[in-house]
Amino acid sequence: MMWKDKYKIGIDEIDKQHEELFGRVSDFNQAIRSDEDWETRVNKVKETMAFMKDYVITHFNEEEAYQEEINYPYLEEHRDAHIKFKESVNNYVKIFEEEGFTEEKIQEFGGKLMTWLIMHVGNMDQKIGEYVKSKGG
Amino acid sequence: MKAEYVNSFYAATKNVFQLLVDIEPKRGDLKVVDSLSNDKDANVELGVKGDIKGKVLFSFPKNMTLEMVKIMSGMEMDKIDNFASSALGEIANIIGGNAMTLLSENNYTCDIEPPQIYIGDYKAVSENDEKALMMSLMTPIGEFDITISLKEKK
Repeated sequence: MMWKDKYKIGIDEIDKQHEELFGRVSDFNQAIRSDEDWETRVNKVKETMAFMKDYVITHFNEEEAYQEEINYPYLEEHRDAHIKFKESVNNYVKIFEEEGFTEEKIQEFGGKLMTWLIMHVGNMDQKIGEYVKSKGG
Repeated sequence: MKAEYVNSFYAATKNVFQLLVDIEPKRGDLKVVDSLSNDKDANVELGVKGDIKGKVLFSFPKNMTLEMVKIMSGMEMDKIDNFASSALGEIANIIGGNAMTLLSENNYTCDIEPPQIYIGDYKAVSENDEKALMMSLMTPIGEFDITISLKEKK
């Protein structure tokens, strides 16, 4: 599992969604690195990609709505990071559409996605929690 | 080579390592080397352009690379495959991006190019005879190097 308690930001709803995202990315990583034949793994990849596309957007929207609600001063910066994250994922979606779901590209995407997610949640999202705490929340 | 370059890369590396793998690297030797080359198992080259130009090379031993990816993914790793090398390249990319932000605080505007990953020895294609600075960094899971070959654009 990728999830660690240190990634919690102290806001239950967001923490639950992060844990779900980390769980899905972990499952994805295990699927693409398992010993099963590639055809079986590709189905899991497609399923996860479809889920991620919707879930990431829903999660980012909810996180941004929460930041608006608490008058978070770094909302714009955070929104930009979400846009970049979505662009990075979409670049790979485009590659898969054009070149097919090749094992090489899927593995490459898996390594990057894991790193982006940990970096985003472990760094930028922590600042939301720190802001709420500083306001006595 | 200016101290700001080395300090920015060290500060960025320390911060990113703490976030991603819970490890604080300690600075070891800093030495002048004749070229940008390294015989460690996994090398990531980052090009730098803008007010400062050149290359930065991150060099990791195999076991350290596998251990880092294991800490992040929670999965056992036995070889540096596409998944592991891609994660390693992205780590170097994030460090490079953060180092550029730190350099911009010293009024240098520069940008990094996408990381190039080399599994096995790395030897730069000779572009110039510039000397480079190699900084060794110590961690409980191994020792790695950052070799910096940067100069100010005139």
